[in-house]
Amino acid sequence: MYTYRKYYEPYVSPLDPCPPMRVKSYETPPQLYMGFQPPNLPQYHPREALKQGTLWPALFAPYTNPYKGPGGGVDGGGENPDNG
Amino acid sequence: MAGRTPITDEQKEMYFRMMEEIQAVDFVLVELNLYLDTHPDDQQAVQQYNEYVQRSAALKNRFQSMFGPLYGFGNSYSASPFSWKEAPWPWQV
Repeated sequence: MYTYRKYYEPYVSPLDPCPPMRVKSYETPPQLYMGFQPPNLPQYHPREALKQGTLWPALFAPYTNPYKGPGGGVDGGGENPDNG
Repeated sequence: MAGRTPITDEQKEMYFRMMEEIQAVDFVLVELNLYLDTHPDDQQAVQQYNEYVQRSAALKNRFQSMFGPLYGFGNSYSASPFSWKEAPWPWQV
């Protein structure tokens, strides 16, 4: 499923005192992919736009918290998508 | 000029409903304004922007006629006595 969240594996040093974070992630909001906004994009209803935080569904970018999701527990050794 | 502070439940409900509507319309105006900064010749958006300016002004007039001035320093008419300092302030609502 295509998501806006991208993952990468940072370098983990053997001298690192803390438990390593093997996989980290960052959000890539839709405006990065849109470039110059085309005119006449479909719009939310005003009240809904207030909730969504933008007037255009195409630009809606919910920040999903990687540490609170089903997979990543906050206390775990960092967010790790492949451990379920 | 109706009382400044919404007292009855019906007034309170009306106060919140109208306030939310004003916020929604103003948010659309903010978004359209930012959009028009980079798309000045988008006729359809300019027309929508002006439409919402009218809506916002009408909503605010109606709100202010019922609950007193929304803005100070010349941006809102005032009742007499001068009720600008009366409750509820935005953080009290």
